[in-house]
Amino acid sequence: MTDDKLRECFSRSLGIPVERVTDDLAYNTIKEWDSVGHMALVAELESEFDVMFDTDDILGMSTVAKAREILARYGASFDAA
Amino acid sequence: MLLEGRVAVVTGASRGIGAAIARAFAAEGATLLLCARSEGVEEVARELGSAERPARALRGDVSDPGFARQLISSAKKEYGGLDVLVNNAGILRQGLIGMTSAEQMRELLDVNVLALMTLTQYATRVMNPARSPSVVNLASIAGTQGMEGVTAYSASKAAVVGYTLSSAKELAPKGIRVNAIAPGFIDTDMVRGVSSDWYERRMQSIRMGRIGTPEDVAGVAVFLASDLSRYVTGQVIGVDGSMMS
Repeated sequence: MTDDKLRECFSRSLGIPVERVTDDLAYNTIKEWDSVGHMALVAELESEFDVMFDTDDILGMSTVAKAREILARYGASFDAA
Repeated sequence: MLLEGRVAVVTGASRGIGAAIARAFAAEGATLLLCARSEGVEEVARELGSAERPARALRGDVSDPGFARQLISSAKKEYGGLDVLVNNAGILRQGLIGMTSAEQMRELLDVNVLALMTLTQYATRVMNPARSPSVVNLASIAGTQGMEGVTAYSASKAAVVGYTLSSAKELAPKGIRVNAIAPGFIDTDMVRGVSSDWYERRMQSIRMGRIGTPEDVAGVAVFLASDLSRYVTGQVIGVDGSMMS
């Protein structure tokens, strides 16, 4: 299984190269992933994976790895289309 | 029609102001998702729905965050998105300051404030800025002017005003308008449930000489939901017949 789709969402919504999207990339550690970027990321993930997050999950989405874990709970598939 | 092709969620739509707003929206062409705790909301949806202009009902309690999420998620899944949210569901509890229980205060804040904030959180995430989205919150003259005998209710409605003003500022760059309506004394089951003495005093305080109707409020809701008000945000519009609170 790849998670290209997830990494592409981060890349698109935050405006950063996909190579920078690593598992340990964390919220508020780069200027692009601030609170405004976070809401853009959430919108992108909800649209791409056709889910609607609980607010607690949005607040808990602190790293790329955590985002994958949360999306898995919503039954998301990470393979690129 | 002013709301042709728009998808609207109206909470507390089984009766009173919510049902009047649902009827006014349907008359202007809106597709509706209505909610309320009581089964009356299903009757309202049946009355208003048609093949070209669907109206669906979802029964539940807006103060349950799971239901709030389900409601907005349903609008997205069934209608492809959401253009208008009317946060109308609310409760009134009378009581002098020293006679209001902590449970009553929490209940008022849960339903009138927290539910509205939670619904706004979910709704504004699925609204498309290109479709001129609008949030309409039901405040009250009790929240803008104060009113004795309903202090906890007044506090909850003042919170609605604060949330409206702040969220309008935060959401304006995203093209989402947020406004509130502050009804005065409107002829609904809610005000018929208050004591007769309180009711009489309120009636005598209305300069226009009559109690308001749910339709008086619904007209302003149509205005705020539609493009007639496309450059209006962060406003609280009184619908009170010049009532002295």
